[in-house]
Amino acid sequence: MNMAWKEMKKSKAKFIILGSIIFLVSFLTFIISGLANGLSQDNAALIKDLPQGHFYMSTDAKGTYNLSKIDPSLQDQTLKEHKDAAAFSIQMGFVNDKEDKQHTVAFVTSTDSPLFEKVAPGEIVLDKSLEKDGIKVGDVLTNNQFNGEFKVVKFVDQKKYSHAPVAYINMNDYKEIYRAKGLQLMFIPGQDQAPSITGLDSYTNNEFLNTISSYKAENMSLQMIIWFLIAISGLLFAIFFYMMNVQKIGLYGILKAIGVKTGTLFRMMWAQMFLITISALVLSVALSLGFNMIAPKGMPFSLTLNGTILLSVLFLVIGFIGATLSGMQIRKVEPLQAIQQGDM
Amino acid sequence: MTTFTIQDVTKTFTNGEVSEQVLNGINLSLQEGELTALVGASGSGKSTLLTIAAGLQSASDGKVKFDGNNMIGMTQEQIRKIRASKFGFVFQSAHLVPFLTVEDQLMLMLDVAESKMSKHEQKEEVAKVLKLVEMDHRKNAYPASLSGGEKQRVAIARAIIHKPKILFADEPTASLDSKRSRDVMTLIRDLTKKLKITTLMVTHDEEMLPFADRIITMKDGLII
Repeated sequence: MNMAWKEMKKSKAKFIILGSIIFLVSFLTFIISGLANGLSQDNAALIKDLPQGHFYMSTDAKGTYNLSKIDPSLQDQTLKEHKDAAAFSIQMGFVNDKEDKQHTVAFVTSTDSPLFEKVAPGEIVLDKSLEKDGIKVGDVLTNNQFNGEFKVVKFVDQKKYSHAPVAYINMNDYKEIYRAKGLQLMFIPGQDQAPSITGLDSYTNNEFLNTISSYKAENMSLQMIIWFLIAISGLLFAIFFYMMNVQKIGLYGILKAIGVKTGTLFRMMWAQMFLITISALVLSVALSLGFNMIAPKGMPFSLTLNGTILLSVLFLVIGFIGATLSGMQIRKVEPLQAIQQGDM
Repeated sequence: MTTFTIQDVTKTFTNGEVSEQVLNGINLSLQEGELTALVGASGSGKSTLLTIAAGLQSASDGKVKFDGNNMIGMTQEQIRKIRASKFGFVFQSAHLVPFLTVEDQLMLMLDVAESKMSKHEQKEEVAKVLKLVEMDHRKNAYPASLSGGEKQRVAIARAIIHKPKILFADEPTASLDSKRSRDVMTLIRDLTKKLKITTLMVTHDEEMLPFADRIITMKDGLII
């Protein structure tokens, strides 16, 4: 007999209240997760979109990539040994449009690689967000540290770094702007084990992302909020089921006296927990994904299916743990005590 | 035919350094189709004896034999199985499940007793037993809408739906008025005879004693 469902049907208000709370907490978690993901994409899409591999910067840079300098001969030798590797640099800067309006960009230049845009001298490839600022293909842009001009040849989707649109330029133009002799970083895609290169330290994709201080600070705060909300939902389950179990101690005792297994009582509680959580999650996932579609274009919001599934599973696990911990009192219930008490 | 035997059962409660012996070597045999009433003053040990016999607490010493097996020393799971399938319980309060209808209370008991009947057969059996206790017209009612007497009738129906061998009744009429008490006792006596159940009942209400086949009086943990 499905006692769990029969109880829920009879005590609708009680379970709807719990379901609403779980829905609100999970909805808030999905929205914040979407914002966290959107912001991290806005902060480092350039790096996040690269395949898994290993980043290298000079040892003396001590993990600060804009202090890193790769020795040109070491770079040539590494590129020879690893055909799919690329050396590249990222520097924040500005471009001025024909109306002399200044736009912040992250200049990126690299050796020949399918991982980065190939750009000829005097040309520039921009992130699509600059198109909304009125820049068009064929426009001419300038930079006060660059003697020549940049002709816009193409726009690319979702290439952001440090919340600024990426501007791919030729290596010679880059060297002129930043008076640089070499590049800052190297990237070798694939490779489970990072090949050891003398004078360079290797970083996995995640390790490298965390060397970007703004990314680390922003991501940590948002992740902390998400985990906090998940912990709250676990506590809510524990408290709610604890209170409900305390009310039902007498009933559990009588059911045990007539021969109901303790496991059956646990299964009843788990069934209620799963039913409430799944209903609340279905509603909050639907609304979050709906919000994902209608979110204003400028809002950095990105909720992936994988992320949603992961968070949903986490909610179920946390709910299960919360309900189970609070249900431990079911095991301790003595039928005799319940019989000696009055009606429930 | 003897179906249930209690041999030299003792029970001592210990609280710190203080210990109190509430049963001092009880010997008792219960017969099939017989309603046995346990009477005695408060503290005489009658409720303790009933709960030990029902496997709801353990004895300090002695034997409680059911179907030839000593229940003292059985595992909790073995005792639970016996309680679920061979015993029926009627308590002082009806102790019905508040979110189940009258019909569902009985269906639950059939589930607990691991009845081999199909759902359809179970429903038929429930209808039959509800008719027996004259509660068939309230099968869709929840406990909150039943009177005290009706609740106790449902509790009795729940106690006998799985055809137990032993029915334990602990003060089954204590929360009822005289008329309802007599109705409930008539029902317990009739079911004991009709279904050939062995019934052990604790009561302190002398008006209920004429319903019993056998009256056992207890005093200071002994049968007198």
